[in-house]
Amino acid sequence: RLAMATTADKSTKERLLSALADLEVLSRELVEMLALSRSQKLPPPGEDVQVLELLVQRDAEFQELMEVAQQQGKVHEEMQVLEKEVEKRDSDIQQLQKQLKEAEHILATAVYQAKEKLKSIDKARKGNISSEEIIKYAHRISASNAVCAPLNWVPGDPRRPYPTDLEMRSGLLGHMANLPSNGMNGHLPGDALAAGRLPDVLTPHYPWQSSDMSVGILPPHHGNDFGLDPPGHNKENEDDVEAMSTDSSSSSSDSD
Amino acid sequence: MAGVQQKPEKDVHEYSLLPLVHDIIKCMEKDSQDVNQELAKLKSKIQEAREQISNMPGIESSPPVQQQQLATLREQVRTKNQLLQKYKSLCMFDVPKVS
Repeated sequence: RLAMATTADKSTKERLLSALADLEVLSRELVEMLALSRSQKLPPPGEDVQVLELLVQRDAEFQELMEVAQQQGKVHEEMQVLEKEVEKRDSDIQQLQKQLKEAEHILATAVYQAKEKLKSIDKARKGNISSEEIIKYAHRISASNAVCAPLNWVPGDPRRPYPTDLEMRSGLLGHMANLPSNGMNGHLPGDALAAGRLPDVLTPHYPWQSSDMSVGILPPHHGNDFGLDPPGHNKENEDDVEAMSTDSSSSSSDSD
Repeated sequence: MAGVQQKPEKDVHEYSLLPLVHDIIKCMEKDSQDVNQELAKLKSKIQEAREQISNMPGIESSPPVQQQQLATLREQVRTKNQLLQKYKSLCMFDVPKVS
């Protein structure tokens, strides 16, 4: 029993093989003893009984171990089933993890987009403009800056079918070009300045007419052009342009 | 070779070498010539048993160690099942479930 206790942590296979080897040795020894005693016509020595007893004991142990081994075989089958189950669960968990990661990514994107939207909503709230004002402005630009002059336009009428210089300056393009717009209220007398009709002596001198302008110093009669007019543009053909833009049949977008 | 039909009984006693040893002793007592044949039978039986042992599954460890491994596996399955169950019950949105 002591021997069994010390061998309890050995594998069943080792114990079986060792028991089998013992059985082989013991049975051979027994047969040899008997053969020797028979050949020498001697009575069998007392040792053979001991060997036989040992053989019987080891044989019983061997059978017990075989039974244990069969039980272990069944347990092994059960373990294999469990291992398969563990594998399946592992793949399920991995699948779930993958889906959670995807969901996290989608949610993160959604949160980012929502934040952006909130930002733009906030921005829109801060720059709140009433619709009435927008309509008023739309009306104004469609009335005065249409592609065609109003029907009742006559020379001297301040209204123009295109944006005036002042309006260009106060617009986005004017700001991008860093054109100063201070001192202007968009209501210069008759907009004549924009049309370049005033004599040079009457032309008011604004800061934007200084030499740091991109167009540089221009001849006196071009003082108000700011490079917006095509080359060859002068006072003579400006009259033609005004006369041409009175053509009321060319467009229907005038509102006055 | 009696009791071949009774499988569980046969299984346990089949591995005993005593009947063969007994046959050998009997032959020796009778001074029979069959003794060599009986000895060969014992030898082949032992060899057969050896092969069988090396092919038996699940005996690479002792029973206590095997029981421990089994318990570990059961615990693993239980834990993983619990984990999956937890996440399944966490599904609080109407998301189409993936099988």
